Amino acid sequence: MQTSFTPEQLRDPGLAAANEVLRTCVHCGFCTATCPTFVLKGDELDSPRGRIYLIKDMLEEGGPPGALVVRHIDRCLSCLSCMTTCPSGVHYMHLVDYARGVIETRHTRPWHDRLLRRLLAALLPYPARFRTALRAARLARPFAPLLPRSGVLASRMRAMLALAPERLPAADGGMAGKVWRPEGTRRFRVALLAGCAQRVLDPEINAATIRLLTRMGGEVVVPDGSGCCGALAHHLGRHGQTLAEVRANVAAWTREMAGEGLDGIVVNASGCGAMVKDYGFLMRLEPEADSAAKVAALAMDVSEALLRFGYAPSRPPAGITVAYHAACGLQHGQKITEEPKLLLAKAGFRVAMPAEAHLCCGSAGSYNMLQPEIADSLRERKLGNLRDCAADVVATGNIGCLTQLAGHGLPVLHTVMLLDWMAGGPRPAALEAAAVPEPEGEARAHELAAEAAGQLGG
Amino acid sequence: MDVEPPLHEDVLARRGAIVAGLCRLLPEDAVISDRARLRPYETDGMASERQVPLAVALPSTTGEVVAVMRFLHREGVPVVPRGAGTSLSGGALPRADAVVLGMMRMHRILEVDYADRFARVQAGVTNLAITEAVQKGGFFYAPDPSSQLACMIGGNVAMNAGGAHCLRYGVTTNNLLGLTVVTAEGDVVEIGGRHVDAAGYDWLGLLTGSEGQLAVVTEVTVRILHAAEGARAMLVAFKANEVAGACVAAIIAAGIIPVALEFMDRPAIAACEAFAHAGYPLDAEALLIVEVEGSAAEQDALLARISGICARFEPVSLRVSASAEESAAIWKGRKGAFGAVGRISPDYLCMDGTIPTGRLAEVLARIGEMSGRYGLKVANIFHAGDGNLHPLILFDANDADSQRRAEEFGAEILRLCVEVGGCLTGEHGVGVEKRPLMGVQFNPTELAQQRRIKEAFDPGWLLNPSKVFPAADAAA
Amino acid sequence: MTEGAAEGEAPRDEAGIAAAVLAAYEAREPLEVIGNGSKQGMLRPVQAARTLRLGGLSGVVMHSPEELVVSARAGTTLAELDGVLAARGQSLASEVPDLRHLLGSEGEPTLGGAVAANLSGPRRIGGGATRDYVLGVRAVNGRGELLRCGGRVHKNVTGLDLCRLLAGSHGTLAVLTEITLKVLPRAERERSLAVRCAEARAGVAALSIGLGSAFGVSGAAYVPAALAGRVPGLSGPAALLRVENFADSVAYRVDRLRALLAPFGTVDVLEEEVSRQAWRSLRDAEPLADGEGAVWRLSVRPSAGPGVAERLEREMGAAWFLDWGGGLVWLRGPAGERGHASVCAAVAEAGGTWTLLRAPLALRQVVAVIPPEPEALARIGGRVKAAFDPAGILNPGRMRAGV
Repeated sequence: MQTSFTPEQLRDPGLAAANEVLRTCVHCGFCTATCPTFVLKGDELDSPRGRIYLIKDMLEEGGPPGALVVRHIDRCLSCLSCMTTCPSGVHYMHLVDYARGVIETRHTRPWHDRLLRRLLAALLPYPARFRTALRAARLARPFAPLLPRSGVLASRMRAMLALAPERLPAADGGMAGKVWRPEGTRRFRVALLAGCAQRVLDPEINAATIRLLTRMGGEVVVPDGSGCCGALAHHLGRHGQTLAEVRANVAAWTREMAGEGLDGIVVNASGCGAMVKDYGFLMRLEPEADSAAKVAALAMDVSEALLRFGYAPSRPPAGITVAYHAACGLQHGQKITEEPKLLLAKAGFRVAMPAEAHLCCGSAGSYNMLQPEIADSLRERKLGNLRDCAADVVATGNIGCLTQLAGHGLPVLHTVMLLDWMAGGPRPAALEAAAVPEPEGEARAHELAAEAAGQLGG
Repeated sequence: MDVEPPLHEDVLARRGAIVAGLCRLLPEDAVISDRARLRPYETDGMASERQVPLAVALPSTTGEVVAVMRFLHREGVPVVPRGAGTSLSGGALPRADAVVLGMMRMHRILEVDYADRFARVQAGVTNLAITEAVQKGGFFYAPDPSSQLACMIGGNVAMNAGGAHCLRYGVTTNNLLGLTVVTAEGDVVEIGGRHVDAAGYDWLGLLTGSEGQLAVVTEVTVRILHAAEGARAMLVAFKANEVAGACVAAIIAAGIIPVALEFMDRPAIAACEAFAHAGYPLDAEALLIVEVEGSAAEQDALLARISGICARFEPVSLRVSASAEESAAIWKGRKGAFGAVGRISPDYLCMDGTIPTGRLAEVLARIGEMSGRYGLKVANIFHAGDGNLHPLILFDANDADSQRRAEEFGAEILRLCVEVGGCLTGEHGVGVEKRPLMGVQFNPTELAQQRRIKEAFDPGWLLNPSKVFPAADAAA
Repeated sequence: MTEGAAEGEAPRDEAGIAAAVLAAYEAREPLEVIGNGSKQGMLRPVQAARTLRLGGLSGVVMHSPEELVVSARAGTTLAELDGVLAARGQSLASEVPDLRHLLGSEGEPTLGGAVAANLSGPRRIGGGATRDYVLGVRAVNGRGELLRCGGRVHKNVTGLDLCRLLAGSHGTLAVLTEITLKVLPRAERERSLAVRCAEARAGVAALSIGLGSAFGVSGAAYVPAALAGRVPGLSGPAALLRVENFADSVAYRVDRLRALLAPFGTVDVLEEEVSRQAWRSLRDAEPLADGEGAVWRLSVRPSAGPGVAERLEREMGAAWFLDWGGGLVWLRGPAGERGHASVCAAVAEAGGTWTLLRAPLALRQVVAVIPPEPEALARIGGRVKAAFDPAGILNPGRMRAGV
């Protein structure tokens, strides 16, 4: 596509990279069809191609973008469905992330929007703060009906209160600097991205991941200094905070690689995985460019790790049908589509795929708090398609999707919980709540599950 | 001579009042009038042409379309209907004095009837969504343009869209039962229905392919077909374009009509392989994708007969797809071909003309010669069975000279199509792209006849202005 | 005035046709356009001072079997065209009916007449109407101007699709002089399955199962008990389904369809020649050709066919059979305004279209022979007619009174 930037503009390496992306687009429009917001809104402006055009215009003009334009960029979920669809290979992710940064520096948002974004960026990446905030939200929930019926602010607050879980699991007691030894001889050694929000919302995901890997002969380490992957700040357009978070991770993992060595950096939240795999690009202009690229090359989703290091179930098939909800960070961000399904099948589950599997569930990081109306529509659509699968349980590879879809009558859990169960771990508590029938000969698993549930309750 | 008809200055002057009028008829988020947000609507799938519209209206129902059309007719404002904006001939290119009527919100499937084998849908339903809606009954909607994922049925009707499988199943016009249209004056008219062959003039046939010149399509009733038991694609590579062309003629002369018979030349093969990883042979000069349908035994029998014919033309390689996944990859490459070219060139012009299939080799040789003369690369993709060529001319829109040469190159290809007995268009329509060339295919008498029909439907020339009819020929 | 009596002109070339039309245009004298007159008894009678015969303009101009195209002058007889195509193993895919017996006419049917009337036979249900196979036409409009529309390539429409508009316009917009068609290879083999079915609704359900299967049914008709004796190969009421393809495929598909349709009744298989005879008989409406009365051809959604037919059987004692999966109702009943009103009402209720195909002149002069159009469309239709034929000289009144 034609662009018109001055040579001065193109001297900015960020803009130069954006220009490269814009030039790849041939404006064919294929991306519109698989974009969740276009499907809902029916407006070119809420499609990837429309946003690319708005961004092109904004960058060419160079001035501050208007609020109406920003609204359409803000509505983008960054689900990257468009990148799966695009025949021309347009790197939409790099373009929209760059545009978000530009918007944050040039555009002045209303006070409540600024406040909320600052709050999200200051809370979510930090488990202790996030925990406190969730407790507060729980206490505030009874007051939700007092909120005004309309207005952006009210609907966002209502969304946040609704997303806060009913019961908060016990804290994981801190993971930084810990090492989990393998069962038997050590076959491989990986670092685990312990994550931030996930640790607070569902610490069992990390626990199951560690059980799985150690059982397979892996040593798992969470290096001191590693923390949030940076995606949250990145998608809010907060460039400085993003770089700081990425830098800390790169440093921590690089130390580990230079020390005892790493066979992989395992990530069990799909959005974080997509982010870490892009560290090379993010840091390309920074002094840490080389080490960031090496870290990115080592990153792998937990499903990739399990397949590579030889996952094997030890229990007989449970006779359960699992609807697999493909998280966008996996299917679009990392192009991982088959691995989780393969693993589930390997573990003896029947796997069902919902219609419109390519569409986002509306979670998208902090999106469901910033754009509750679209996020709710997408959740309803997704839940409808998942219900049509008539499965016993829904599995997915991302904490965001879990939170978004949970509490609507369908048991939803992380894929690793099911895999761990079949490899000897406890029966996932989510199955209990949903009254999924107990397969025969599973008494022991049931006991384990009860234990686990007891621990959580206490 | 192609002179742009002048803009309605009075309309431009009344812009504020017109926008306000639209806002009274539609919900708040269904009217776009600020310049920054009108920009993405300034072009469609042919991004080389651009014009910011007066406003954009996004109706959700036939009723809203009627209200908007009546209002615009009263105000004398031109209207540009737009579906997904995937036209490669600029079929949805706005004008500064025109309101874009975006049909993307009309995306409901209204009725599916397996016993009577039809589906009734709103105009903004995508082509593929129709097939997806009837798939559980084992059915499909046959025309499958490459953009079927995104393009909308209303636009398919406007352009009489085709696709890779229309050799066997026909193009859009052969697969329609009925239309609901809104006329230039804002009247709703039902054409056809759930039955075939209405007595009287074939309005359905005339409206199909009329590129938004005669009416606005709001609902479409399409014929749906039961899918074959199975299908398999075969890739046959040849050492020269002429050989592949001769092979196509031999297959058809033998009385075999495959469901699809697609051709790609060397540059096209390379671009598509990079996108789809379908195992296209990168060392071949020409590649045919041949697909057959039926039971496994029927497929085997047909593929054996076709392979036998191909063998006479010394293919470089011949591979029968072994699985549904392999066939899907083969089609993914072909269907993504246009966009995939974006990987080897910043911009392309996708041409669309038809030639008698017997002239294929000669036409390709001459396109090759032109490519050298214009100094621009070309990738050739086409529906070999029906002679529909899609040469993709590679250029750089940031280089004005390169763009000018590309446009001249394209025009010369289309002239060649007409010269050898073909047509200016295959399935992409005339749009703005081929409007100046209409005189190459039609004489003034014939153009005047077409123009009079246009005027019978749209006396004020308000529907999709500046398309199809050469400007010098259009009403002032 | 009697029908078909006028001698008129019969030019031997296109220029002669154009000159004749121009002369009529300049004289503002209506012109009846006919081929060899085989369908003159159809629709409304034309009141014209002059007659233009196309029979002299004949001959196949081009046939390119490997491109699946043929061009022939409008007056070429279908028999001649069929001979040329058959020599290369091809045929006109839409199975144009020969209505001479039904209409009691004589002249050899021409290609121009078939296209002008858009008459299609049983294969229409799967393969398309005659107009679906028209790639290009040359025609003379009501001003005596020669027009070329479409082309000789399969994707033939640039600008407006005048070919489709002219096909089925019964010579009221322009005089066709040359037509280019898409042709298809003749099938190597055909077989038909006759499912013994006493009830029309069950019969149409069986047809629907067949047409909605993966087995490429190319003909789907239902013949009730009253007419079964008139169709070769049938001994009782039956749903008839045809399969055409290469030999092994036909054998396979017949087996699969037989299994699919068994629940509807005993399935008999009609071998090649009997099958051909049966479909030819249905194509030409032979079962209704003899006997007094008017004949209507109705097109409704297939599932509505039995209801419409049985209702008219009750109301006016009509005889009928169904083609096109049930959607084409061939109907014979008393020729009178009351019966005609019943037909119109039944079709209007079901949603569809009708043509009064055969009737005494007296009836055709007083009733509409095709349904009226909604007002907005009729207004446009009048302007389109004027766009081709400003003086209103081409076959005036043939389709509708006053047009």
